[in-house]
Amino acid sequence: MKKNIFFVIAALVAVTSCTLDKTDYEAEISTVVVEHFEFNEVVSINKNNYQIRIEALNGTLYKGYNDIHLTITNTQTNENISTSNVTFLPIITNYNGNNASCPHQYNLNYNTENNYYSGYAVFTSESNELENWEVHISFTDNGETYTVNQDIIVEEQANMNLNMTAFTANDGEQYFIALVAPQKPKIAENELVAGIYKYNQPSNEAGTFPDPSQFSYTEVSNYTLLLDPRMPEPSMGNHSSPNNQNLTQQEDGLYYGTVNYTMTGNWTLNFRLQNPDGDIIKGTEVSTDFTPGIEGERSELHIDILF
Amino acid sequence: MKKSITLVILLFVSLYTTAQNTEKEKKKDSIVALDEVQLITIIKKKIETDMKMAVTVDEFLASSDNISFIKRGAYAWEPLLNNMSSERSTITIDGMHVFGACTDKMDPITSYVESNNLSKIDIKSGQEGSMHGATVAGSIDLKRKSTPFNLSKKWNGAYQTGFEFNNKQFFNLANASYSGSKFVADGSLAYRKAENYSDGNTEEVKHSQFTKFNASLGLAYKTSELSSVKVEAIYDEAKDVGYPALPMDLWLSRALITSATYKQLFKEGLFRALDTKIYFNAIEHYMDDTTRPENLVHMDMPGWSTTYGLLSKANLKSNNFSSEIQLNAYNNLSTAEMRMYPQDRSERSMFAYSWPAVTTTFAGISLNNSWEISDKSQLNFGGALGVNYNHSKYVEFNWIFHPGTPQEKTRILPSFHAGYQLDIKNFNFSVGGGYGHRAPSVSEGYGYYIYNSFDRYDYIGNPDLKNEISYEGNASAGYKGDKFSLQANVNYFYIENYIIGRILSLGSPMNYQSVGVKGYTSLEYSTLFNFSLNTSYTILDNLHWKGVLTYARGKDDNKNNLPFIRPLSYQSSIHYRYNRFNFQTSVNGDLEQINYSPEYGEDQTPSYTIWNLSADYTFKIKDYRTVVQIGAENILNEYYSTYADWGNIPRMGSNIFTSLKFNF
Ligand SMILES: [Cu+2]
Repeated sequence: MKKNIFFVIAALVAVTSCTLDKTDYEAEISTVVVEHFEFNEVVSINKNNYQIRIEALNGTLYKGYNDIHLTITNTQTNENISTSNVTFLPIITNYNGNNASCPHQYNLNYNTENNYYSGYAVFTSESNELENWEVHISFTDNGETYTVNQDIIVEEQANMNLNMTAFTANDGEQYFIALVAPQKPKIAENELVAGIYKYNQPSNEAGTFPDPSQFSYTEVSNYTLLLDPRMPEPSMGNHSSPNNQNLTQQEDGLYYGTVNYTMTGNWTLNFRLQNPDGDIIKGTEVSTDFTPGIEGERSELHIDILF
Repeated sequence: MKKSITLVILLFVSLYTTAQNTEKEKKKDSIVALDEVQLITIIKKKIETDMKMAVTVDEFLASSDNISFIKRGAYAWEPLLNNMSSERSTITIDGMHVFGACTDKMDPITSYVESNNLSKIDIKSGQEGSMHGATVAGSIDLKRKSTPFNLSKKWNGAYQTGFEFNNKQFFNLANASYSGSKFVADGSLAYRKAENYSDGNTEEVKHSQFTKFNASLGLAYKTSELSSVKVEAIYDEAKDVGYPALPMDLWLSRALITSATYKQLFKEGLFRALDTKIYFNAIEHYMDDTTRPENLVHMDMPGWSTTYGLLSKANLKSNNFSSEIQLNAYNNLSTAEMRMYPQDRSERSMFAYSWPAVTTTFAGISLNNSWEISDKSQLNFGGALGVNYNHSKYVEFNWIFHPGTPQEKTRILPSFHAGYQLDIKNFNFSVGGGYGHRAPSVSEGYGYYIYNSFDRYDYIGNPDLKNEISYEGNASAGYKGDKFSLQANVNYFYIENYIIGRILSLGSPMNYQSVGVKGYTSLEYSTLFNFSLNTSYTILDNLHWKGVLTYARGKDDNKNNLPFIRPLSYQSSIHYRYNRFNFQTSVNGDLEQINYSPEYGEDQTPSYTIWNLSADYTFKIKDYRTVVQIGAENILNEYYSTYADWGNIPRMGSNIFTSLKFNF
């Protein structure tokens, strides 16, 4: 009898351990994406008696959208400057000396709570041997204006959820769409945040370099970004998700919408950009048909993401 | 006479008493010993049908007239009680709740037992079945074999083997028991292996093979004159099981079902018996779709279900009033995964939960009373009150279709029922009614893109579904003469918040073969009517005839037909005994399905008639009673599929079966 009981217990132990392991869900959704939360120093510049520190998430500037924090310290008094007008202008120079910029906030705002100037830059390409990024910063203190130039490195954005796209729309203007959030999407309803920018064609001749009027970008206002997320993988048959919301502009200038991801894997955010007059100026409507075995067709305006 | 009186008393006091078994002339004696109480179970109906002595559990259940089946192949049929799907009934093993681990219902609980470890199956219709937990359709309780203490013959056993020609099914069933004065052991082993079956056009139905192994063990020890403890376990393993009606098969399914029971009887007083059981069961289920060349995309869909439970029951008796009180509590965790692979397998795969780790905790108390008003009439009444709690661990999956829905949900599930029985000479009558709630199942509440190959939709659960509420009425009338008997039963269900899948305008399918997305929603109500008529006639002492007729009708709130409602069906059988020979023949079939439901993916099923024949011979080899049987099912090789055959897969064509049974 003891033997029998032993057998029962042995069988119990043997069977209650699964033949195949369950998926570790936390690991499943966190393998691809590294999320960054901390602002660290990207570069520090000394100019006369001032130290200028540029901070970004993870201490790195990436292709795509970057929040920029900037502090200027008077090294004599050890005080942070808070009353200055600070301008920020990223310039890319290619191998034959052509200059361009990217969407950015030219006049930085002072954040009184945290004592830094804040802005953003949407870098349109990574630094490489042929193209070099440089920031031009100016500020005033005690009635005197200082300017500094600093080379910076723009790195590849490994997180596809922060991808960006640049395009010329039907209205002839040059637009940029950069994903801002979520860094790490979930199988759930996600708030999708994007910045939409436009290059302002200069109306006057270029002045002395760097002439900000030649490198002017603005956040577009009152546009709508129509959203249709789909899984392009042939096996997914153009699968989509319910309850998605188009992106509309909120007070901070960014565009907010809702995207639902029904499972992990490759997704394409198919977009159509609608101007305030209600005209679609870029993007094509994609088929909603379920087409198993066929790679899902993408809108001419789209961003691929993965999680 | 004395013997039969004792037997009747025992039956009454016995833990195995069911409302159906109420006998008329009960005496109020109270001397009971544990050994004798359990004797009763042996006398109960064996797990075999009139036609066939070596049946599967499914075939045995099919012989009951309020059970029908959804069949997805040759194995693991889903039992429908009163024409309602398995979510609406409680299916238990000795009162223990076990929940299948397959999102596609490949594994009803009945697939985890074998005919040689069961003694009987207890089917109760409607709220009378609320003893083991909240239900709408009723309950199916699979009763395990349980050898009594101190039998005159210490060792008992049986071995049964057989072969079925159509699908080359070979089976071996063995069971043995030891009965001592202090210690009892029961054990069984079963192995079945079948290849693909052939339909009525003698064409092979691919992916209909199965292999099943089942073992059970029960050990009981008598702790005192009137008490005992018992530990039991069932292990079941199904491997390489084909489901021709589904786009995938089963690679492996394993179940371990264990329990420990303490029983106490009382010689006198109000309390007559107390029976407490704790149990644990674990099921794992792994599907396989790589055997299907038509699947361009392969998907892993493993599922796990683990349940802990407690069940405690007391029998009370005072004069002509007796009651049974049962406490049920269980906790189940159901998890099912879905992983799809891109064409390029090195690329990242896609993952989601089809059951996002859903916990169901239930606790309830049930009461059943019977009051003998007179020798002729009896009133049965009872009720139950349960609390059902659900928790979805990965609630974000539920939020996709139901944004912001709470992660937890608690439901109160009340029920009650009453019935009156009257016997006047050879006639018997009964009327009854019931009311009860049930909570949505895990799939109905929390399922996520569960592909239903019947209507080819992906199903999404809704955590906010209301309780399904059933209002039920039933009646029966019968006559039992010396030679002729006739019994008619009707019941009618009005089910509020009837849960069913409705096409969603949201979302798009995920599964390869799917055509759209359906969400579980509540219809305002639906109605169901069931009718059955049983007759028997003794033509000669050794020649009997039996006939069964059933009819059902189900409608939704728009007067559209509900799916899976059995059309008018009939069965007629003759049994003839000659010396040690028995001959049986039967004809059964369904009429054309007139009231089918295109809204829910059904098409019209034509009528069919099946003719079966069998003969057996009983003899002795030394002292061992031996029975040999040979028979044929669907002799005319009719090509047919029934209204509830998933995807209209054809049923088995003609099949010759043989079996041989030794009793030791
Ligand atoms: Cu399955």
